[in-house]
Amino acid sequence: MTTVLAPVGGAAVGLAAVPDPVFSAGMVGPGTAIDPCRGPGEAVAPIAGKIMKLHPHAYVIVGDDGKGVLVRLGIDTVQLRGEGFRLLAAEGDRVRAGQPVVAWDPSLVEAGGRSPVCPVVALDAPAASVRCVAAGRVRAGDRLFRWL
Amino acid sequence: MPERRVTVVAEVGLHARPAATFVKAAAKAPMDITVARASGDGTPINGKSILQILALDVKQDETIVIKAEGEGADAVLDELAGIAGSP
Repeated sequence: MTTVLAPVGGAAVGLAAVPDPVFSAGMVGPGTAIDPCRGPGEAVAPIAGKIMKLHPHAYVIVGDDGKGVLVRLGIDTVQLRGEGFRLLAAEGDRVRAGQPVVAWDPSLVEAGGRSPVCPVVALDAPAASVRCVAAGRVRAGDRLFRWL
Repeated sequence: MPERRVTVVAEVGLHARPAATFVKAAAKAPMDITVARASGDGTPINGKSILQILALDVKQDETIVIKAEGEGADAVLDELAGIAGSP
């Protein structure tokens, strides 16, 4: 079992609240989403493992058991081409759960007319394998859900 | 083995919606599906895994090779090639 931590602080709102049907319909996988606290902050690793992919707007961490968790920092933020995001780690790095990966500011994303909501998705996971999903206020590093 | 070579034209590459749609369709196929970059080392990955598709990191204008074998493989490959090649 994997405990997945909140990569950012804010309100856990569920994937259905994500204004992107790819996530809200669960097409990428099960999980939840966090409406982040506005202002400068750091997005952290939701699990311990290797940074398999690192983009300014999204990253995937894969644990030693092969389970991968995707974190997206806002919707359509790929269009920002990294502006307003600063990488705090490198692709291939091993990170501990809770270690900062990207510095960003959700309020700047929002000011640009995009949603800063952050989907956190268990990749290749059956929907029923995600349990005990947090709802409401979470701090970065709090338990967000369990992945059986 | 039947295969299709497709150039990914979507601006986001084989990510986000194209990736999720591709894997959803691949997962329904009864046979194994592999995807590899047409250039470089071309190591095939499991086309039914969103994790492996995201790891492959196919960008716009890159060409991939999709392979499948068995009954109905051509229909499956046509559908997957259509998804991967959609703008």
